[in-house]
Amino acid sequence: MLNKIPKWNLTLFILIISEIIVFGMINPRFWNVTILLNSFNDFISVAIIGFFVTMVVITGGIDISGVSIIGLTSVVTGLLSQVVGINIWVSILCAILIGGLCGLLNGVLIAYGRVQAMVITLGGMLLYSGIAIVLVGLSDVSTYEGISGFPEGFSQIANGEVMGIPNSVILFIVMFFIAYILLHRTRFGRYIYLTGINQNTAEYSGINTKKIIAATYFLSGLSAGIAGVVLTSYLGSARSDYGAEYLMPILTVVVLGGTLITGGKGGVIGTALASIILGFMQIGLQMAGVSTQYIGLATGVLLIVSVAFLGINPDFRFNVRRIFTQKQNIGG
Amino acid sequence: MGKFKSIKLLIILAIFMVFVAACSSNEGASGDGDKKKDDKDIQVVFIPKMTGNAFFESGNDGAQEMAKKVGFKVKYDGAPEGTVANQVQIINSAVNSGADAIAISSVSSDGLNQALKKALDAGIKVVTWDSDVDPKFRSVYVNQGTPEILGEMLVEMAAEQMDNPDDAKKIAWFYSSPTVPDQNSWVEYANKYIKEKYPKWEIVTTQFGDANEQKSLQVGESILDSYPDVDAIICPDSTALPAMAQAAENKGLNAEDVIITGFASPNSMRQFIENGTIKNHGLWDVKDQGALAVYTAYWLAKGNDLKVGDSIDVPDMGSVKLEANSIQGYDYTADDSGIMVLPERIVFTKDNTNDYNF
Repeated sequence: MLNKIPKWNLTLFILIISEIIVFGMINPRFWNVTILLNSFNDFISVAIIGFFVTMVVITGGIDISGVSIIGLTSVVTGLLSQVVGINIWVSILCAILIGGLCGLLNGVLIAYGRVQAMVITLGGMLLYSGIAIVLVGLSDVSTYEGISGFPEGFSQIANGEVMGIPNSVILFIVMFFIAYILLHRTRFGRYIYLTGINQNTAEYSGINTKKIIAATYFLSGLSAGIAGVVLTSYLGSARSDYGAEYLMPILTVVVLGGTLITGGKGGVIGTALASIILGFMQIGLQMAGVSTQYIGLATGVLLIVSVAFLGINPDFRFNVRRIFTQKQNIGG
Repeated sequence: MGKFKSIKLLIILAIFMVFVAACSSNEGASGDGDKKKDDKDIQVVFIPKMTGNAFFESGNDGAQEMAKKVGFKVKYDGAPEGTVANQVQIINSAVNSGADAIAISSVSSDGLNQALKKALDAGIKVVTWDSDVDPKFRSVYVNQGTPEILGEMLVEMAAEQMDNPDDAKKIAWFYSSPTVPDQNSWVEYANKYIKEKYPKWEIVTTQFGDANEQKSLQVGESILDSYPDVDAIICPDSTALPAMAQAAENKGLNAEDVIITGFASPNSMRQFIENGTIKNHGLWDVKDQGALAVYTAYWLAKGNDLKVGDSIDVPDMGSVKLEANSIQGYDYTADDSGIMVLPERIVFTKDNTNDYNF
C-alpha cells in the first residue's frame, strides 16, 4: 500500500508528524488536541484558496488576486448586512458570488483574451482591493475601524464547534473534499491536467481548454469569497485589508504541496498537507517563544527549499553533480 | 487510480487523527491559577500595534527593563503589519502557549473581542495600553491621559505660542480618522475647552490622514493651500504631525507663519524643531507606559486583587490608582475593570528633545 502513496505527499506527512513531535517537546501544550484543532482557524483561509489556486496552477496559470477578493467579499458582506440591512445569510451568498464573478472576469480575460495570467491577476488584485476601499468610503464607515455588529449566528461560522470539533476543521475537510473530487474524480479534473500538460494537444483532442481555464479562475474566486466570509466571521468585523498578508502563504502551500509552478502536475492532497505544515509551524514557533515578526522568515525558507527540491530540472541536478565530481577530481 | 487515492487519503486522515488524539492525553488541565506563582514563572506577552515602529519599540524597552527589575518574563510579540488578523493570531498563540497575562495596544476597538474573550475564559489577565478595547474584555487600561488632560494639553501647546491667545484665531484639526476612539475623544474635549477658554477661536476645518504617510502629506498641503490664513494646525496623531510639518517645510513656512503642534514621538519631530518649522509638540513617556502596562499585568497574574479605587506601588513610579472606566466616557463599569492614568506627560521643545530617544 505504501508504495502507492506519492513520495512527496509522504514526505509532507512525515514533516507534519515531526513538527508535532518537535514542537511538542519544546512546549508540551502543543500536544493538546483542542489547541491544534483550534489553530486551523488561523490558516483556514490560506488553505481554502490554496486548494483552488492549485487547480489554476495545474492549468499553467497563476492567481494572486485572491488576497484582495478576501477583503472585497468581507466588505460586501458587512455593507449588505449592516448598512443596507439585508439578511446576513443572503449577504454572505451575494458576497461569495461577487468573489466568483471577480474570478470569472480574470478567467475570461486570461483564457479568451490570451493575456498573461500574472498580469491580469496582478491588475485584478489592485482593482478589487481598490473597489473594496471605495465601497467602504461610500458607506461612511472608516476604513480603519471596519464594519462590525454582526449577529451571534454569523460569528459561529468560524468560532463554533460541532461535537467538539471546531467548525474551521470541518470546513477545511469539506472544502478539501470538494476540491479533491473536482480535481481527481471528475472529467473536469482530468481536463485540467491535460490543459496544463499541453494546451494545444488538449485543444486538438476536443477539450474546450478556454472554458476549462476560465472555470478554474472562477472557482478560485469563489473560494476566495468563502475565505473572506470565514475570516470576517472569525474576526468579527468587516475590513478591506483582510487577507493582504496571505499572498506568500497561499503560493507557499501550493508549491510546497508539490504542484509544479509550470503546470501539469500536482494535487490538492499536497496542498492540504502543506497548509497544515505551514499553520502548525506558525503556531509551533510562536509557542516555542519565537516572535511573530520572524516567522515570515521560516515561511520564506520553506518556499525556497520546496521550489529547490521540486522545481529544479534533471539537467540542473546533473550539472551540479558534475561540478562536485570535477572538484573531487581536482582535489584527488 | 481515483479509488486508490481516496482510500489512501482516508488512511492518512485516520492516522493523523489517531496520532493527534494519542498525543493529547490530559495536557489541557494543568491547574494554574489557584496557587500563587513564582515571579520568574510568570510570563506576560507584550503586544504592540505593529513592530518596527519607534513608538512601540521603546514601549517594549520600558517593558523589558521593568521585567528585569522585578524578575518576571516579558515576551514581545507583534507582526510588521498592524492588522486585526495578526493581533488575533498573536493573542491566540499567547493563550495556547500558556502565558499568564497579555498587555496589548489594540488596532481595533472591537475586532479583538472574540479572541480576548477566549483569553479571559482561559484565565489570562488582559491589560491594554495606548489604545483600548471594549472595557468588558480587559481588566485595566493603562491610559496616556484622559480626554480632559490631553485635550487641554493640545490647546495650551498651541495657545502658549500665540502673542494674544484671546484674539480671534483660525484653528485646523488634522488627525487619523473620524472614528478612531482615542484621538476623537481628545479633540471633542479640546473643542469644548476652546469654547470656554478661548471663545473667539474658530475651527475652520477638521481633516483626516488615515494614518497613511503619503495621504497625510497631501492632506497637510491641501490644508495650507485651502486655508492660507490659518493660525494653528493641531495634529494629535503620530503620522499626521510629521507630515504636516513636512508640508509646511515644503512650502517654506516656519513656526512664525503658522503654528503646528500635536502628538508625535520626539525622534520623528526633532529635525522640524531644530530647523524652526515647529516650536513644540507633546507626548507621554511611552517607556513608562510599557513598564506600567507589564507591571500591572504581572501584578494581576500573580493572583492579586485589584479593584477600582485601589492603588498599586510600581517600582520607580510610585503609587498608581485604578480609576473607574467612566473617566474615559465608558458606560460599562465593574469592580475589576478600570483605567490607570500615566502620571505624567511631556512637552518637547528645542531644550529637551535631545533627552529622549523614542
